[in-house]
Amino acid sequence: MGIDVTVKIGGEAGQGIQTVGDLLARVCHGCGLYVLAVNDFESRIRGGHSFLQLRISDRPVAAPDHRVHLLVALSPRTLDMHLSELADDGLAIFDSQETGPGDNVVSIAVTDMARKAGGAIMANTVAAGACLALLGASGSLLEIVLKKQFQAKKAGVLENNLKAAQSGVEAVEGIDFAPAFAWPEKKPAGKLLSGAQILALGAVAADCRFAAFYPMSPATGIMAGLTGFEDRAPLVVEQAEDEIAAVNMVIGASFAGVRAMTATSGGGFALMAEGLGLAGITETPIVIVNSQRPGPATGLPTRTAQADLRFVLHAAQDEFPRFVLAPTSLDDGFETMGRAFALADKYQVPAIVLTDQYFNDSVNIAQKPLTVPESIDRHIVTDADMDDPKAYRRYEITDSGISPRAVPCAGQALVMVSGNEHQQDGHISETIPDRIGQVDKRFRKLAAMEKEMRSPRTDFPDSRVLLTGWGSAAGAIRESVEMLRAEGMDAGGVYFTDIWPFPQQAAEEILGRCERFYMVEQNVSAQLGGLIREKTGLKFYQAVLKYDGRPFFPFEIARRVKAAEEAIDG
Amino acid sequence: MVDVRDFHCDYENKWCPGCGNFPILEALKQGLADQRLVPEDVLMISGIGQAGKTPHFLKCNFFHGLHGRALPLATGAYAANSELPILVSMGDGDCYGEGGNHFMAAIRRNPDMTLLIHDNRVYGLTKGQPSPTSERGFVTKIQPMGVRSDPLNPAALALSQGAGFVARAYCGHKEQLAGLIGQAMDYRGVSVIDIMQVCVSYNTVNTYDWYKKRVYDINEQGHDTGDLSAAMALAFAGGDRIATGLFYKKDRASFADRVPGLAESPLAARSYDPARVQALLDQA
Ligand SMILES: Cc1ncc(C[n+]2csc(CCOP(=O)(O)OP(=O)(O)O)c2C)c(N)n1
Ligand code: SF4
Ligand SMILES: [Mg+2]
Repeated sequence: MGIDVTVKIGGEAGQGIQTVGDLLARVCHGCGLYVLAVNDFESRIRGGHSFLQLRISDRPVAAPDHRVHLLVALSPRTLDMHLSELADDGLAIFDSQETGPGDNVVSIAVTDMARKAGGAIMANTVAAGACLALLGASGSLLEIVLKKQFQAKKAGVLENNLKAAQSGVEAVEGIDFAPAFAWPEKKPAGKLLSGAQILALGAVAADCRFAAFYPMSPATGIMAGLTGFEDRAPLVVEQAEDEIAAVNMVIGASFAGVRAMTATSGGGFALMAEGLGLAGITETPIVIVNSQRPGPATGLPTRTAQADLRFVLHAAQDEFPRFVLAPTSLDDGFETMGRAFALADKYQVPAIVLTDQYFNDSVNIAQKPLTVPESIDRHIVTDADMDDPKAYRRYEITDSGISPRAVPCAGQALVMVSGNEHQQDGHISETIPDRIGQVDKRFRKLAAMEKEMRSPRTDFPDSRVLLTGWGSAAGAIRESVEMLRAEGMDAGGVYFTDIWPFPQQAAEEILGRCERFYMVEQNVSAQLGGLIREKTGLKFYQAVLKYDGRPFFPFEIARRVKAAEEAIDG
Repeated sequence: MVDVRDFHCDYENKWCPGCGNFPILEALKQGLADQRLVPEDVLMISGIGQAGKTPHFLKCNFFHGLHGRALPLATGAYAANSELPILVSMGDGDCYGEGGNHFMAAIRRNPDMTLLIHDNRVYGLTKGQPSPTSERGFVTKIQPMGVRSDPLNPAALALSQGAGFVARAYCGHKEQLAGLIGQAMDYRGVSVIDIMQVCVSYNTVNTYDWYKKRVYDINEQGHDTGDLSAAMALAFAGGDRIATGLFYKKDRASFADRVPGLAESPLAARSYDPARVQALLDQA
């Protein structure tokens, strides 16, 4: 067995749990290990109970493990809530001066030691030192990371933190911790990034130049990421007065010639619905990221879900072509942003990227190199492309359904755009031929759009039983497939990124071959399962559904599929 | 030479005969011609309503968007290309009702654009419901007992929020309006022109006659456009006289002036530089 250790750090919001996780993740990453850090926090700034779960492995990991090897309890509540999750050889560190409640609980006066090193604020550094020592890491590893982090800070800050780390190391000296491992000395396996960061990087790599948003968890991180690039790229990020303004600004910016996007969660997306339709009828390319959280209404603001699929497929009145893409991993997230912008431009339609809190807030390793395209095809025409610019018509009827798109005030061609149904030049029209002509024109794009859709990714697609899902659930499904196969089940996995236009032929081919397939989704009704049925006629056998706001654990998927299979065999 | 006729558009006009929007359209053409702009260089963004239809009757580039949302749409276009001469045509319901939040935000943000609010104190396109500027007691089919709420005061709202160009005009005084449009376009930042517009079909209170008896031009009377309190007093003045003209003008940093580099080169004009973006990715 290789390395596969999970550390859970819990406490009150504001105690710096994230900092401990961050330090540990960076030390691991620096040694060439793979990590996945999942955040579980309440919608509050101080107090309550939050935790961060860090999985460390020598191979890529894309889902949290349910077994905890090392629990760091910065509050008594953490110990009460999570002690039962400890693996048999696991250990808990409890911030206390009294002895812990059991053999597997070690009391360390973390806060006290931090005070001695220079301030209670460094409790997280003490904890990180203790964790790393228990895990068998040499002290110099943390030192390197601390130096990087605090170098620029005031004199004494680095020294105090090094002291704090050292006291953490000393506090656990002599404790035997079975899950400790031999630390590799390899180069980092890729970039350590959150989902929100990779989406921002994907957007800037796609030459997105304008972004407008209204803050809403869990989408805000994407805009925070983009804002960080404003000084180094031709990019303006604007906080709008509401989501309606955000989407309309994005449409205006795209109309005037730049790639533009917004990001929100379901509630904000609901407010954007009319704007989405405006992009649809005016054939203005835009990208909207909807990072899902459980709803309806405010729902669970800081938690995860995959329950907006049906919503984004149909949001806005009437019908118009759109793309819906749901990245399954960090690598896929980067690529998907590029494709969303390119496809939106090429077909002059809105593209929706569906992620979720688990995707956005978790930190993982992007393994593929992040590269920018050599050139960007904007599919924009100028006077030079026209025989007679004065005769230019924005909504000219064409075989492909795609009309030449010019930008306003760029030449002789007048660009006239209307959210009312229009004639070919863009002026309002209520005639039957114009209405039918324009609806048909818009929908003629669909055939080519369908061809752009990629088949779902698969593992062992020829298996008897297939586990099917989409978006961020792919990581957990993939690992559950491994578990089932290890137990001898002939199981495979199917993971959709491209959802709309639905890749019907590919879905039919893959899912039509197996004996039965299960849907694995984070919603109540197996929304993709319903779509598959609608588009292919194929009906899933059972669904593994989770809607408690927490991400899937691979073992729970495997357990439920196994039980269902045993019920058949038995 | 640019001529008002250059802005003529063959598309069939759909306003009621006698509508106050006609003289506004004429003044607009005059103002644009005076600016020596050609139709290809003008961008009009509009909302939904009778006023929102204006760009269909004017030769220009346009985006006729959603009810209430013309301002964010225009702001996005401006952010992409801050050199565009942008006019925003809206109704009173459009700008002060459905889009009220955007109106306040636009004043704060101060993008360089000219806001033309065709204020007929009624919802024209939807056939006569009251608007935010209808008088209390204004009787409509769905308010047979009269409107219960008090009217919003556009000029006072704009002034109170720090707008740097606030004017009130009357559709019947085309010359004055054309002049105000010209000044507004010259002004760097949001300029607000609340245009009192007659709706012959649904507003039988605020008619041409009604206005004619009341309006006067403050700029002919030596009003100091740099005096905020005087401007506020004009905005709030009750009684039988209605002040028109430029109430207030003050320099403010435009949106583009507040974003480093934007004023020098519009986003849309910059060339794609893969090496620069790659460097940024490599640092991630
Ligand atoms: C979201 C939305 N709500 C309502 C309408 C219906 N509607 C169209 S125009 C209008 C009001 C028009 O009044 P105003 O903005 O004053 O413009 P006018 O027609 O008077 O020029 C309304 C309510 C709409 N088009 N969209
Ligand atoms: S309804 Fe009123 S505002 Fe509309 S076109 Fe007729 S007169 Fe003009
Ligand atoms: Mg009106």
